[in-house]
Amino acid sequence: MLSAFKSIPTHMDYKGQKLAEQIFQGVILLSAVIGFIYGFTIQQFGWTVYIMLAGFTISCLLTLPPWPVYRKNPLNWQPAMPETSGENRDKPQEIQKKKKHK
Amino acid sequence: MNTVLSRANSLFAFSLSVMAALTFGCFITTAFKDRSIPVDIHVSKVMIKNVDDFTGPRERSDLGFVTFDISANLQPIFDWNVKELFLYLTAEYSTKSNALNQVVLWDKIVLRGDNTKLNLKDVKSKYFFFDDGNGLRANKNITLTLSWNVVPNAGILPLVMGSGHKSLAFPETYETSKSY
Repeated sequence: MLSAFKSIPTHMDYKGQKLAEQIFQGVILLSAVIGFIYGFTIQQFGWTVYIMLAGFTISCLLTLPPWPVYRKNPLNWQPAMPETSGENRDKPQEIQKKKKHK
Repeated sequence: MNTVLSRANSLFAFSLSVMAALTFGCFITTAFKDRSIPVDIHVSKVMIKNVDDFTGPRERSDLGFVTFDISANLQPIFDWNVKELFLYLTAEYSTKSNALNQVVLWDKIVLRGDNTKLNLKDVKSKYFFFDDGNGLRANKNITLTLSWNVVPNAGILPLVMGSGHKSLAFPETYETSKSY
């Protein structure tokens, strides 16, 4: 079951990460200000905490899953170089043999 | 910031820091408030006995019995930073052997949300009013004051004395025959 979780893609690109960070910081600060003013008005600190928790949940939903808006600037990887499988197998073995003799 | 766990980690840590700042703000808005209110105390019955005191060094000590009424409105003290109040009634007096004596006679815990109008009549003391010796007999000036300890959500716990006190005098003789 764990392999099913690990296979879900969760990456964002760099601009998406920056956007996600700005979004959650903004949401939490806004809910903190609203909560502080509301709690002070009705003189119950419990409501401040509840509004903060609501802001936390909203920002979790907005930034934790990799929505498509965070994948708009993907990196341009170089195309893969064609390689023969024989060369790759010989080289690591040679390196291992040299290390054992020393 | 590339995996869900690292994003969740930074989100949670940021929320906790903001929460700590909000709690400090809550403390700052109520730190310099005056928490004293007027209190009304009446005394209906005063009696004194001279009995064996097993907790003291001498054979017999004075034991006072006071029945009192208290009325106060605690509503102005409760704000968003007060969790509960611990009220206690103190008797303060001076004798020949000790310059200052303070004895707690009665206490009560008032939680946030409880009825804040205190209107108690004919309350007997909860704790024994023992004197350290025989200094209560014919003591002219015993002052009863109601004080409270404010337990906050965040910040320091101030001890506040109510404005209003009652002075009473103990009788000259002991009661020997009837029991309380």
